Amino acid sequence: MFYIHHTVCISPQISFPEVNLDNLLTSIDNKLYAKQVSSADIPPAILRRMGKAVKMAVSASGPLLKHYTNLDGIIIGTANGGMEDCIKFLNQIFQYEEGVLTPTNFVQSTPNAIAAQLGFISKNKGYNITHVHRGLAFENALIDVEMLLDDNPAHTYLLGGLDEISDYNFNIEYLCGYIKKEIINNSELYTGKTTGSIAGEGVAMFVVNNNKEGAISILKNVKTIHTTDKNEVLEVFKEFLFNSQLQNDEIDMLLTGENGDERYITYSELIESVVPDAIVARYKHMLGEFQTASAFALWLANYILQDQHVPVHMVKKQTISKPLRNIIIYNNYQGFQHSFMLLSKV
Amino acid sequence: MGSQELKQELKEKIIEFLNLIDTKPEDIKDDQPLFGEGLGLDSIDSIELIVLLDRNYGIKIKDPKEGRKVLVDINTMVDYIVKHRTK
Amino acid sequence: MTKVYVTGMGILTALGDSLESNRDGLKEGRCGIGSLEGFSTRYADSLLFGEVKRSNEELKKLLSIKEKGVSRTSLLALHAFNQAVQEAGLTNQNISDKNTALILANTVGGMCLTDELYRDANQRDSGSEYVASYDCGSVGIYLQQKFAMHGIINTINTACSSSANAIMYGVRLIKKGYAKRAIVGGADSLAKFTINGFNSLHILSSGRCSPFDVNRDGLNLGEGAAFLVLEAEQHTSDKKKLAEVKGYANTNDAFHPSTLSENGDGPYLAMEKALKQAGLNPDEINYINTHGTGTENNDEVESKAMIKIFKNKVPAFTSTKSNIGHTLGASGAIEAVYSILNLLYQEIYPSLSFKESIEATRLIPEQVYSKAMIKNVMSNSFGFGGNCSSLIFSKV
Repeated sequence: MFYIHHTVCISPQISFPEVNLDNLLTSIDNKLYAKQVSSADIPPAILRRMGKAVKMAVSASGPLLKHYTNLDGIIIGTANGGMEDCIKFLNQIFQYEEGVLTPTNFVQSTPNAIAAQLGFISKNKGYNITHVHRGLAFENALIDVEMLLDDNPAHTYLLGGLDEISDYNFNIEYLCGYIKKEIINNSELYTGKTTGSIAGEGVAMFVVNNNKEGAISILKNVKTIHTTDKNEVLEVFKEFLFNSQLQNDEIDMLLTGENGDERYITYSELIESVVPDAIVARYKHMLGEFQTASAFALWLANYILQDQHVPVHMVKKQTISKPLRNIIIYNNYQGFQHSFMLLSKV
Repeated sequence: MGSQELKQELKEKIIEFLNLIDTKPEDIKDDQPLFGEGLGLDSIDSIELIVLLDRNYGIKIKDPKEGRKVLVDINTMVDYIVKHRTK
Repeated sequence: MTKVYVTGMGILTALGDSLESNRDGLKEGRCGIGSLEGFSTRYADSLLFGEVKRSNEELKKLLSIKEKGVSRTSLLALHAFNQAVQEAGLTNQNISDKNTALILANTVGGMCLTDELYRDANQRDSGSEYVASYDCGSVGIYLQQKFAMHGIINTINTACSSSANAIMYGVRLIKKGYAKRAIVGGADSLAKFTINGFNSLHILSSGRCSPFDVNRDGLNLGEGAAFLVLEAEQHTSDKKKLAEVKGYANTNDAFHPSTLSENGDGPYLAMEKALKQAGLNPDEINYINTHGTGTENNDEVESKAMIKIFKNKVPAFTSTKSNIGHTLGASGAIEAVYSILNLLYQEIYPSLSFKESIEATRLIPEQVYSKAMIKNVMSNSFGFGGNCSSLIFSKV
C-alpha cells in the first residue's frame, strides 16, 4: 500500500490541464485519441525526437517533475511504448530494402525510451524500469512501487501508465478481433451485443510515497491473475476483499473495465454481484480499450474520491447517495488478464 | 547549382531531417559548428546526417573518422557534397 | 530477511542447448559467432551473429509443439524454461501454484517475425498465424498459458538490461512474500528489426567482437534464452542450492538515449548499490561478468566505472559476449547462468578476441581458462536509455 499525492492524466477526455468529465467527448472511427496538449514546456532539442507516447508522458510529467525535484525513481507500465516509431522503423527497413536507415526511430521504438526520457529530463539516476506485460503492465508497475516503498520507506517515486494508438497496432488488434467490426459511437459502447471494443490511448502519471500527510488517496491493495475461469476470478476477488479487511458493504463504488465485448461481460457481472451495495461505474467509453487503461481508471478513481461526484455517463447502477470512501477497480484485458485495485480516501 | 543555393538547400534539408523545431535556415551560419556548443547536435544526429547525404546526394560515408571530418559545419559538408555527389 | 537461492538453471545459446554444452564451450574458449543461416537478410553474410543453430522446425519437434503461432522467441524461452524447472525439481503443480511467479524479459518479442509484422500492420483483411504474438508480453503469456500459471506474471523491457531486472524483480517478490518461488529469465531471438536497428547506429562489428580491446569496432548480435528458478530459503531445505542472489541494483545513467556518459555514472552507481545491498566490500568480489559488448562507448565507460569502484584492484573479468554475441533481453539471464557456473565449478573462462588494452584504462580481461577461488561474482548489464543493472551471486 502507498499514498497518492499528485496526479496528471492526458486522455481523450478533458483531463488536462483542467478536468471536466461530465461532457463526454466522442470517438471517431472506433478510436479515441488523447487530446493534444501544448509542448511549450519541453525543450526543442529534446522534443524534436519524441514520438507521441514519449511526448504524452513528458507533458503529463512536466508539472510533477517541476513540483517534485528529488524523486527516487521512475516506474512505467506500457505494453508497447513508442509503437509509431517502431513501425516507422519497420517501414524504413522495407522501403530502403535494409539499406541505410536513420536510427532515431529505432532508438525511440524501445518501450523503455519513455522512462529513460523522463530520467534524462529530470537527471534522475535512481531506479528506472519499464513493465511491458500487456494488460497487466501498469499493475506490475504498482506492485514494483509497493515493494520499493517497503524497502525504502522515505522514498518518493514517479509512477505512470500509458500506451498509444497507431494505425498499425489498430490494424493488428482489429485482425485479432479486439476491435469492433461495425463503427459505433463510444456513448453506445455497452449497448451492443457484438465482440470487440474501440481503441484508445492516454497517460496517467502519479507521485507516490508512504507519507499520509497531504495525500489524496491510498492504494491499499492490488492483485493480478491470469485465467479464463470465471469461478477463479470470483474466488480471487473474494480473497482480495478479505485481505483488504473490508466488509462488502464498505465498498462504495465498483469501477469496472467493461469494454463492450460481449465475450467478457460476465466477468464484470460476477464481480458486481459480490458487492450489491456499491455504485457500479464504467470508464472504457471515455478512453477506449488498451493495455494500460487501468492507469486511467486509477487516476479517475482518485479524482472521484477527491471530487465526490460521479459523471452520469459512467454510472451503470446507482445506489443511495453516500460519501465515497472506498473504490474498487476491476479491469480485464482480453478476457484473461484480470486485476483488482482498492483505492481509499485519505 | 551554385554553392549558395546548395548551402540553403542543405540547411533546409537538415532542419527537416533532424526535425529542428523553431530553427530557420538563416539561423544556421555556414561556419557554425554542428556539434557541441554550436548547433548542439549529438552522435545520433551525426548518423542521421550521413543518411541524409546518402539519400539526397548519393554519398556513402563508411568510415566514422571520415564522417567526423565532413560533418564539421555547413561549409565542410557543402565542399564534400560538391566533390562526391553522385546524384 | 529471507535469503533467495537459485535452485535450477536452463540455457540455450550459440554455444549449445544445455548447461553442459555451454560450460564446455566456455572452457574451450569456443566462439559461437558466425554467419546467419536461419532467415534471409541483406546482412546474413556480411555481418556475424551468435545464432542458435536450431531451426524453428527442429525446436518445435524437440519441444513437441504442435500449435500454431508460436514465435521463435517463445520457443527459445520454452526450451530454457523446461531445463530450469527440471533441474529445480518443480512439478507441474509447483509451476502452476499461485505462489510461483514468472518474470520474463525480452526486447524483441514476436518481432523476430519482422516480415509478418510488416504485412499484418499494414492491412486489415486477414492476419498471419502470429498476429497475436508480436508484443513483448506474448512470450511470458505463452509460458503462463502452457503451464496454467497462477502467480504474479510479468514482463520487463529495459533494453539490454531487461533480464537482470527480471531476476531482481523475482528476488524482491520472494523477499516481500509475494511468491515462494520465481521462475525468472529472458529470451530474445535474432530479427531483421534489431539487426537493422543496431546497424543503423553503426555499432555492429565488422568481424567477431573484441571486448575491451583497443581496436574493438562494435558488437555482434546474438540470440538465446536463460531461466533461473529462485526459491525462498525456507523452501529449499531439501534442495540443491546453486547460488545465493546476494546483491542487486538498478540505476539510470540519465545521459543519452543510446550512449553511456563518459564517466559512467549509471554503471558506477549500479555496481556500488549492488555491493551495498549485498553487504560486501569491493575486494570481496572475485570475478565480474562484464556487460562488455565490444562497442567503443560501452567498454571504455564500463572500465572507468570498474576502476572507480575497485580502485587499482579490479577483479578478474571477462565478457562472455565474445563467445555468444549480445543476446539483448536474454543477456542478463544468460550471463547470470554463466556467473553461477563460475561459482559452482570455481573456474574462470577465457574472454576471446582480445589483443591490446584500451589506452585510457589499461584493463585486461582473463584470456585463459583457470581454476580460482570464487565466493562472489558480479554480473553487469547496461542498456539503451541509460538503464543499468548489476547483480551479485554468492557461493552457497
